[in-house]
Amino acid sequence: MGLPLFDAHSDPGPSFFHYVEVAGLDTPRSSSAPELPHATTVIAVRYRDGVVMVGDRQATGHYIASRDVRKIEAADRFTALAISGTAARGIEFIKMAQLSFEHYEKMTDSSLSLEGKANYLSPIIQRNNLSSPLMVLPLLAGWDPSHQVGRVFEYDGAGGCYERFDFATIGSGSPFAESALRLGFRPDLDREAALELGALALYEAGDNDPSTGGADFVRNLFPMMVTITEQGFQELASDEVGERFRAINERRTQSGGVAGGTLR
Amino acid sequence: MSNYFYVSPEQLIKDRAEFAQKGIARGRSMVAAIYDVGVLLVAENPSASLNKISEVYDRIAFAGVGKYNEFDRLREAGIRWADGTGFTYSREDVDARALANYYAQHLGDMFTEGQKPLEVEILVAQLGNKIRPTKLYRVAYEGTISDETRFAVLGGDAETIKDRFAASEEIIHPLKETLKNAVTALAGPDRIIETSELEVGILEDRGNRRTFLRLSDPEVSELLS
Repeated sequence: MGLPLFDAHSDPGPSFFHYVEVAGLDTPRSSSAPELPHATTVIAVRYRDGVVMVGDRQATGHYIASRDVRKIEAADRFTALAISGTAARGIEFIKMAQLSFEHYEKMTDSSLSLEGKANYLSPIIQRNNLSSPLMVLPLLAGWDPSHQVGRVFEYDGAGGCYERFDFATIGSGSPFAESALRLGFRPDLDREAALELGALALYEAGDNDPSTGGADFVRNLFPMMVTITEQGFQELASDEVGERFRAINERRTQSGGVAGGTLR
Repeated sequence: MSNYFYVSPEQLIKDRAEFAQKGIARGRSMVAAIYDVGVLLVAENPSASLNKISEVYDRIAFAGVGKYNEFDRLREAGIRWADGTGFTYSREDVDARALANYYAQHLGDMFTEGQKPLEVEILVAQLGNKIRPTKLYRVAYEGTISDETRFAVLGGDAETIKDRFAASEEIIHPLKETLKNAVTALAGPDRIIETSELEVGILEDRGNRRTFLRLSDPEVSELLS
């Protein structure tokens, strides 16, 4: 690769995605590959000081391929990106987003706005999903420093970007997680309540969706829990997550597996 | 009848070099120096937004002097090259020496074949780690690349500033002393440069992947006090 110099009229600007296209560094798309199942649950819940995200750790094909996948990553200091869909494309997508945000920052000496980041991802998702059956559907959550608020953006398969003001879910366990969130969500949740609700919703998804991994007490592998606040992206320690899931499990055992009544 | 007159290659090179030197001398100079735990880049720059110093990659920084539009395009190309290389291979494969060589080739080509030589000088700084050394690569307008062991001065007044800085920096100091010496060397005996006219960036390990940090005016004042 030589020095990528461009004329003013053909310059791809600070967009890494456009540069990659112009320079031919991207992977070819094909429409002949078989559709692979997308099995995941990731949840984002808005609360008073930001956003809580919870994600399971299981990669599922026709069998459990991995039990410790990280489906939520920091795209930059104030932005978290979660993926559902084909693992290879998802990982490539996260890498592209991380690089793009950093690239923009270095090129222009300023960060993209959170909304700018959310919109930027739309055509990347669109190009991937409309040219290949290897779908990828992300979930973006971040702290918006210019408005001092946590925000959540979800996408449809064609790249449409929608801001959610309460919560959002992606993956095959979504219906179950969504039901729990709908019953438990209140505006102005505090951190503790948001973490509790997120954990419970993921527990529900893990309980009902065969392709969502719940807490694995045997291997001590627990879902990922992160907060994105004014302090940036922070991941909860595995022990703390383990405690939360152990407590839910304990309550469920006491009730004989019944979830109803006051949400437990 | 031909309108071309014979110009000897020596004369041609001399004219082009003079042209480039004049262009570079119109701008202000900059100093890059290795301090005990990092690399310092200081430029005299009256503009707060048209930067001469920039982050390129995790452990690589760029500085340019001379014509802004020319070195800024090279800066952008450097960031693209670094991000593209890291994307294709791995982050640890992005090497400042390779980038400095590309700059040298491009400046050399423009010097001999371009409509006019580029009126810029470029510095590529690398903060060392287990696999690479801390290095300062200086690329001159005609493509000469040099690998400076402790410090480099770029710009029209480079020789004088270099002598002043060398006299005060006989050993490698901490950041505070190095910055003071660099600013004193840039200013010379009869002048004081205001903090607002300084652009300062460092490469230093602070526990993050990215080591570049742009210092704000208050931070620079604090270090200079």
